[in-house]
Amino acid sequence: MNSGISRRSVLTGLGLAVIGASRVFAQDRISVLHEKPVPASDVPADAITVEIDKMKYQTPEVTIEAGDTVYWINREVMPHNVAFKEGIVAEGAFRGEMLTKDQAYAITFTEAGSFDYFCTPHPFMRGKVIVG
Amino acid sequence: MVFPHASLRLCLTRIGFGLTCSALSLGVALAQTDGASEGQRAAAEAAAALAGGEADEPVILKTPAVDTRRVYVQDPAHFAAVTQQFIIDGSTGRVIGMTDGGFLAHPLAAEDGSFFAQVSSVWSRIARGDRTDYVEVFDPETLLPTADIELPEDARFLIGTYQWMNALTPDNKKVLFYQFSPAPAVGVVDLEAKQFERMLDVPDCYQIFPASPTVFYMNCRDGSLARVDFANGETSVTNTQVFHAEEELLINHPAYSLRSGRLVWPTYTGKIYQMDLTEEAAGFREPFEALTEAERADNWRPGGWQQTAYHRQSDRIYLLVDQRDQWRHKTASRFVLVINAETGERINKIALGQEIDSINVSQDAEPLLYALSAGTQTLHIYDADSGEELRSVNQLGRGPQIIMTHDMGS
Repeated sequence: MNSGISRRSVLTGLGLAVIGASRVFAQDRISVLHEKPVPASDVPADAITVEIDKMKYQTPEVTIEAGDTVYWINREVMPHNVAFKEGIVAEGAFRGEMLTKDQAYAITFTEAGSFDYFCTPHPFMRGKVIVG
Repeated sequence: MVFPHASLRLCLTRIGFGLTCSALSLGVALAQTDGASEGQRAAAEAAAALAGGEADEPVILKTPAVDTRRVYVQDPAHFAAVTQQFIIDGSTGRVIGMTDGGFLAHPLAAEDGSFFAQVSSVWSRIARGDRTDYVEVFDPETLLPTADIELPEDARFLIGTYQWMNALTPDNKKVLFYQFSPAPAVGVVDLEAKQFERMLDVPDCYQIFPASPTVFYMNCRDGSLARVDFANGETSVTNTQVFHAEEELLINHPAYSLRSGRLVWPTYTGKIYQMDLTEEAAGFREPFEALTEAERADNWRPGGWQQTAYHRQSDRIYLLVDQRDQWRHKTASRFVLVINAETGERINKIALGQEIDSINVSQDAEPLLYALSAGTQTLHIYDADSGEELRSVNQLGRGPQIIMTHDMGS
């Protein structure tokens, strides 16, 4: 689960909940549509995706616009997730839910910047989202 | 010789009192029936003192002076929240002291015998609440802590104790500890200033083998070693050649000599890689097979916990082996191979007569072979040359696994 949500994050989240009425929670620089993983079949056809396979994020670097949503899809039985060290997307650390095979997890990036992420149980798996 | 009673060991620690010790020694000795023992000797001394009208003067004892045959046995106690380390005189088989540690405490010993230390973790409510990671340094004879240095939050890698996951630099001025999550890093602790210094970002590499006060090596996922130079507040990382194939699995317990820079690293099948680590570079030796082709065909494989030992003066490798299935590499073994590290030639195959998990050797000219059973919590002590068992020490906690010595030899 996510951790280290600051007061500002909570307020931002509440704001988004009122305005957008769709995000389950938000950190300072991201928001998350579904706290739990969703089936890969639910990922929109035109979505920006990062496939996870063979202990790697297959597209280690993606460049998007602020407001875009990235979907990570795990294609192997080894569980993986998306996590950020403290200070990257919020004051505290952020840890996405673990994905098993053919599950997806979506994060919307709300601010410009470069966001390094990693897999919690496999810290040698790393990737980056650049928000223009 | 078996140390007779757990309570007697307390006499030799910093919390022991002479009066209690004398009484316990007497009681234990009276219960002994298996010939001359440490307890009987103590009983005879106490009886003679009593008969001579000598008063008991309770004192806190010091250990005997540190020597190459002192051996430390760390008991991770099957992942218990608090742990113990037993300090043993290998020459006599006596427990001469103990230290307490937290969760998966990692022991360290200055090769010159000037101190020993541990990297440890405790929580405010035993196994929950606020976590504190710290380095504790001990005087080797009073066993009193001489430094207690707090580490950054959640800095330590909590893992079954691997001998070289943390290390002292050869000048004994720094402790280097490994961090696994959120990203590979090595923490530097300044023992002179008695404070945490900084974290070094490192590649996807594991274990720490110091080669100079500011250079250490690590084993990387890609099959190479990383050379990390952290002099002058910088961190410079370079990688060596890839020295083993992906299907060649290096065990978690290589042997390393801080004094000579020799790294001895077996695979699951007993192929031995050796490197000579200096401040400048890693020199790779030609690997060889510790087990013969016939033995390998007959299911002989290394296995246990601390499976490898290296005797610096004689340039000999000791490897724990037995017949086993391929994926029973953590079960105990009953044999030790003694190998000439220069030629790969086998010198001896010692039948231990016990189910042994960990081995090490003293670094004197006539070394002792230490063989530790986590299952029976007993340290068996052998003549490393002949393979004859000389003595044993039992009741060493719940699951003792790590054997550590001082390399004080010339």
